[in-house]
Amino acid sequence: MPEPLLARSALRAHVAPEIAAPAPGVVLRERTDLTLASVAAFKGREAELADAVRSAYGIELPTTPTRVAAGEVAFVWAGPGKWLATATGPVDFSTLPAAVADQSDGRSVLSVSGERARETLATLIAIDLHPRAFTSGDAALTHAASISVHLWQTDDAPTYEIAVFRSYAATLWRWLVHAGQSRGIDAKL
Amino acid sequence: MRIACPHCGLRGVDEFAYFGDASVTRPAADAAETAFADYVYLRDNPAGAHRELWSHALGCQSWLVVTRDTRSHAIETVEAARDVALARTSEAQS
Ligand SMILES: [Zn+2]
Repeated sequence: MPEPLLARSALRAHVAPEIAAPAPGVVLRERTDLTLASVAAFKGREAELADAVRSAYGIELPTTPTRVAAGEVAFVWAGPGKWLATATGPVDFSTLPAAVADQSDGRSVLSVSGERARETLATLIAIDLHPRAFTSGDAALTHAASISVHLWQTDDAPTYEIAVFRSYAATLWRWLVHAGQSRGIDAKL
Repeated sequence: MRIACPHCGLRGVDEFAYFGDASVTRPAADAAETAFADYVYLRDNPAGAHRELWSHALGCQSWLVVTRDTRSHAIETVEAARDVALARTSEAQS
C-alpha cells in the first residue's frame, strides 16, 4: 500500500509563523494553493507545444520574460523554450507535447505586496523593478541575496510572486522579513 | 561589468559564469593526438577582442558567446551560443 502524499509547507517548521505590523507597508505570504510544473519544448516542436497550450488553456505561450494568465492557469517564461506552468486548481499539465515535470513540491511561491514591496525587494534583488522597467505581467529569472529566484508581477498594488527552490524558501523568507522590518512587514503563514 | 543577455536583458556579471575561449572547436574523433592537445591546452591570450563562452547561470541558464575587449572589459557583442553553433554547422555543410 503506498503512503498517502500530504502537502507540507517548506516554511512552517522553520520560520516564525506571524509577524504583524499595525499599518503594514509590505505583506508577505506563501502561496499554498498552486500546482506547478516545469515545461520544456522538445527540439523543433515549439509550435506544436504553443498550439496545444492555446487550445487547452487559451494562452499564447510567451517568448519574452513575461507571464500570461487565463482563468486558473498561467505560463511564466523560464528561459528560451522553457516555462513554469501554474494553476490554482488540480490541472494536469503532463498531457502537453513537451518535457513536463511536476514542481508543486519542488518550488515554494512567496507573494510580496504593498506599497513598500518594491523597496523591500530592492534590498535583495539587483534588477530594476521600477514601473518604467518592470510592470504587471513581466517576469524575470535572477537572484535574491544569491538565491536563484523566478519572479513575476501580478498586479499594480504592486504584487510580486517569487518561486524559489523549496530548500531555500525559509532562507528567502527570513531575508524578506529582515528587509521588511523597517518598512512595516506583515508576514503570516 | 554587465552583460546584455539576449533573452533577459542587461544583468550584473554576478549572474554569469565564465567558461572559456569560444573560438576553439573540437577536432574530429579520428584527428591526430596533437590536434586534441591543441584543442584542450593551447589558447591565445589576446590583448583586445576575445570571443568567450559565458553561462547565464543565475538567470535563464543559456550559454552565450560574448566578444569582450580584454583590455577594457568593453563588450562588443553577445550572441546565443546555440545560434553560433547552428551557424557553424550550416557553414560546414555548405
Ligand atoms: Zn539570460
